[in-house]
Amino acid sequence: MALDGPTALITTRLPPGATLDDAVRHLGLSHDAVDTDYGLIDLHDGSYALMVTEAAAERVRGVPGAKGPFANPRIEPFGPIQPGPDE
Amino acid sequence: MRVMIQMRPEPDMVAAVIDPNVTMTAHDVAGGLRGVEIDPTFVPVAAPRPMPVRAGGDPLSMEQSFTFSRAPEHASVLVRGEIHDYDPASRLSMLALSHPEIVGVSADPVISTTPTCGGDKPVGNWREIEQFFAELGADGLDGTGVALAIVDTGINAQHVNNESGRTITIDAARSWNPPGVVGQPGKFPVDHGSMCAFDAMIAAPKATFLDLPVLQSSHEGATVMDGLLSDAVAGFAHLWGLLETMPQDKRALVVSNSWGSFSPQWDFPPGHPGNYSDNPAHPFNLMVTALESAGADVLFAAGNCGRDCPDGRCQFTDRPIGGANSHPRALSIGGVDTRGDRVGYSSQGPGRLSRSKPDVCSYTHFDGSHAFGADEPDTGTSAACPVAAGVVAAIRSQWPAAKLPPHALRTLLQRTADDRGAAGFDFDYGFGIVNVPVIMDALRRRKKNGFR
Repeated sequence: MALDGPTALITTRLPPGATLDDAVRHLGLSHDAVDTDYGLIDLHDGSYALMVTEAAAERVRGVPGAKGPFANPRIEPFGPIQPGPDE
Repeated sequence: MRVMIQMRPEPDMVAAVIDPNVTMTAHDVAGGLRGVEIDPTFVPVAAPRPMPVRAGGDPLSMEQSFTFSRAPEHASVLVRGEIHDYDPASRLSMLALSHPEIVGVSADPVISTTPTCGGDKPVGNWREIEQFFAELGADGLDGTGVALAIVDTGINAQHVNNESGRTITIDAARSWNPPGVVGQPGKFPVDHGSMCAFDAMIAAPKATFLDLPVLQSSHEGATVMDGLLSDAVAGFAHLWGLLETMPQDKRALVVSNSWGSFSPQWDFPPGHPGNYSDNPAHPFNLMVTALESAGADVLFAAGNCGRDCPDGRCQFTDRPIGGANSHPRALSIGGVDTRGDRVGYSSQGPGRLSRSKPDVCSYTHFDGSHAFGADEPDTGTSAACPVAAGVVAAIRSQWPAAKLPPHALRTLLQRTADDRGAAGFDFDYGFGIVNVPVIMDALRRRKKNGFR
């Protein structure tokens, strides 16, 4: 595993039925730079999402069909209501 | 926007308004004011004209003594009405310009008790909401055969059963954990997800629940209950795969999402190609589109950043309904208490991906699951969303997506909603409160007309 964890969300265009190996090959990455537990997510618009290291996300800029990194914000439950700092 | 309109009609009209023996209506005075919905229940009021006591006094200064004249040639008449919320400043200017008899327009803010807020005691209980929805069960719409995914912190089935007196059905085989999350479907600690499941069961007690504990993410720096949006991308991909296994003519999957992002600090700024909040091309927003296109009903809580009493975590300075919570193909659910009043923390529109948000409101802040303690209400738009998801799941038990596509179901909920706030759509209540009796009327008409 690379020193920086695979925290960057990127997408790439691939043929239907593509696998994570296909994505890794297409992007020219090593498996160390990819979150293999997360895998390859078909977004059903011809593109696929995967999680890679920040360094890998930087390296794939310019690879045809690759986009990102995309925001991967923290998400929280909308409740229970928490008081404000002055309450 | 509610407004008071000050008019100067002909003196004989003013005289009639002043005369206690004559009954004048708002339409007598202001009928035909295009662009304004005149309130017919408000009896026109004669407003006296202030006149400086000292001859030659400054007619525009308030710093002097006045006498007040109610003579018909001096007085004006006040009526009450509403104008559309969109671009109110321009509308107010145009209103005064296009009607010479109008001499003034002013805001008419709602004077009411403080809305229900975070620390308040429960308003009503879940049995009252069950009664609001009673017609669903009477027609056999109870969620049978419908998959209802709770994308949250995980469900504790035992707690839901104990509190509801019912038995929740959890489909463990079709549930899903994010990578690294341990725990079995239906056996997670009692928390927010159990509240959501309980609330969805109010209208859909026979639904088959799918447990997706996306907010149990184990990422670095995680708090007790949070996750990352990438986990939700993977969870939705799992749900898409499930839909594909359902026969086309029987697809019925409802996805309840009582979560979102409280802060723009975790996002790229709007306009950046990687942004989430305002970007329909973000992978998660694409996934919502894909899931809805495949036949799922996707519901998101509008959020708890309402202007009256926002959640302490809210850090958006404006337009807090963003990302998938404002997705055009999802229902964005605001919150009202059991009296039908908007709770003060329910986020207001416009939304970021789609302006017309929230879509509709549903019930929250009631005595329900006790997931947070015996005296604690089910709160937040977090509760409103699964309550509405239960209604959708109940409808789906006889109306699969092949017969009533997700977009048509959204329209049905909007069109039948009990209109509150400003007339028609507004950014507080959306189209209004989910209204089961009117939904049932519409479905019965649809059935009678051969649409199933």
